[in-house]
Amino acid sequence: MGGLTAAFDWQSRAVVGRHLRVYLKNWHTSFLPPALEPITLLLAFGLGLGAYMASGLEWHGRRVAYIDFVAPGMLAYATFMTAVFQSLFGAFIRMRYQRTWEGQLTTQIELRHVVWGEVLWAALLTTTYVAIVALVLSACQALGALHLQLALLPVILPIVFVSACAFAALGLCFTALVPTIDHMNLPIFLVVLPLGFVSATYFPLGHPVLAALSTVNPLYHLAESVRGLLLGDGVDGHLIGLAVLVVLMVGALVPLDMHLLRKRVLGD
Amino acid sequence: MPALLEAHGLVKHLGGRRVVDGVDLVCHAGQVLGLLGPNGAGKTTTLRMLYGVLTADAGTIRFDGVDVARDVGRFKRQLGVCTQDDTFDGDFTVRQNLEIAASYFRPRPTDVRRRTDELLERFALASYAADKPEALSGGFRRRLMIARALVHRPRLLFLDEPTTGLDPQARVAVWDLVNGLRAEGLGVVLTTHYMDEAERLSDALTVLAQGKVVAHGSPKAVLGDMLGEHVVVLEADGVTMPAVAAWLATHGLGEPFAVLGAWHLPLSAEQLADFARAFPALRYEVRPPNLDDLFLKLALVPWAG
Repeated sequence: MGGLTAAFDWQSRAVVGRHLRVYLKNWHTSFLPPALEPITLLLAFGLGLGAYMASGLEWHGRRVAYIDFVAPGMLAYATFMTAVFQSLFGAFIRMRYQRTWEGQLTTQIELRHVVWGEVLWAALLTTTYVAIVALVLSACQALGALHLQLALLPVILPIVFVSACAFAALGLCFTALVPTIDHMNLPIFLVVLPLGFVSATYFPLGHPVLAALSTVNPLYHLAESVRGLLLGDGVDGHLIGLAVLVVLMVGALVPLDMHLLRKRVLGD
Repeated sequence: MPALLEAHGLVKHLGGRRVVDGVDLVCHAGQVLGLLGPNGAGKTTTLRMLYGVLTADAGTIRFDGVDVARDVGRFKRQLGVCTQDDTFDGDFTVRQNLEIAASYFRPRPTDVRRRTDELLERFALASYAADKPEALSGGFRRRLMIARALVHRPRLLFLDEPTTGLDPQARVAVWDLVNGLRAEGLGVVLTTHYMDEAERLSDALTVLAQGKVVAHGSPKAVLGDMLGEHVVVLEADGVTMPAVAAWLATHGLGEPFAVLGAWHLPLSAEQLADFARAFPALRYEVRPPNLDDLFLKLALVPWAG
């Protein structure tokens, strides 16, 4: 239990503070991807692919414009990818190449704080990223390209934060397991991308097998929750599904991360 | 007055192997304790248990007489650690490295700005304060590592092979710094592969071999206990060597250390007299033992069991 409550220790915040300080040093380059990605994706998927679906698509028994379907999916997908990639590559580089963790462990920071620091930092970074994407979506709405219930956007951010904690815990598991950075391709292609596709982020899941698989995919529940909120349809049980999966993932994966990383970093 | 650091019966298993096997050691304030031993002796694992990164499977560690298991966080607040490899934060400048390290301690170090300036000055890093650590030479990187370990004003400093890879001038500079820290009352636990360094810096030595303490005491006492008072050095010419080897065997002295074609035989005063009587015509040199001899002996003798 101590491993889970370490999230609230000052040491975990100190680790987050260190990562935040690095981020703020490079804010101008860090700001660019979340600002440009939604524009690119809205142009490619919303306007490009959407042009072939002039009548929109059926979602929850009603027609919605494809671009309005995609925009909430983008927020969910950005949550998943940012959290997983930060805890995969960012954490691996700090652990293996920069040896930041080793330095931290010689202070009052313990491994459980390093793990929580990475998880919380990935979640904070993800929430910032999604907030920037949300701002871009708001600008698109102001230009008439989208028709969402933007008043509910702030409600999404805490949901994004806790979901990102679960996704980061998953990413850290792979960080603990892969022997080299080249091996990152294995979890990315075997786990991360399949989870990303079976999630109703960019297209509805019509096939019954995919639909069945998606019920245990937290990204699917996140995408549907965000979509339900922004399209004014309610969260329809997906928020509960998401909460259950997030609690299970954090409860199981964070202690597992600590166990695996203790072996990897300390040889213990 | 209790010792600053006192460890009793430390045991650690890693990968199913007993890496540290009942280690006892003591370090007082204002003392440098040298922790020596060949590769695989258990030095780094012992050190990692002492500075709280690894948990001992058995044994106790006391700081100022208090069992550290009662509050590891409070214990770690008193420690400074300089690891063997550079682990400074490459995302920050030299000054920022000290500031960031200070943020990892509670109670927070007071007046961090002044403390940072003081350390930059003392370790001759002031002119590099705005540079990234990778721009520094090996000697200055070590200085930064030690300065970082001191930013929160610890009472006990761990130095894991602090001068490995440094040129002689940089090594002497690090020795001076360590000497100064000792004079200020800091306890220092030092591991090193350089025997001259251990001899010059250490007030006491704890020698490990295969996870066990095989000697402890002042450098002179350790050498005397483990090697005797003299070392006979003779050229291994192939003619007299079988006779010398036989003499060693009959005196229970085992194998000599062979270094570049010369045999080095650690002997007590009585054994030396005996040796002189046995080989009156042999030409050899007699010198006092040093820690290199001890190191060679540790590498040769099977200590297990």
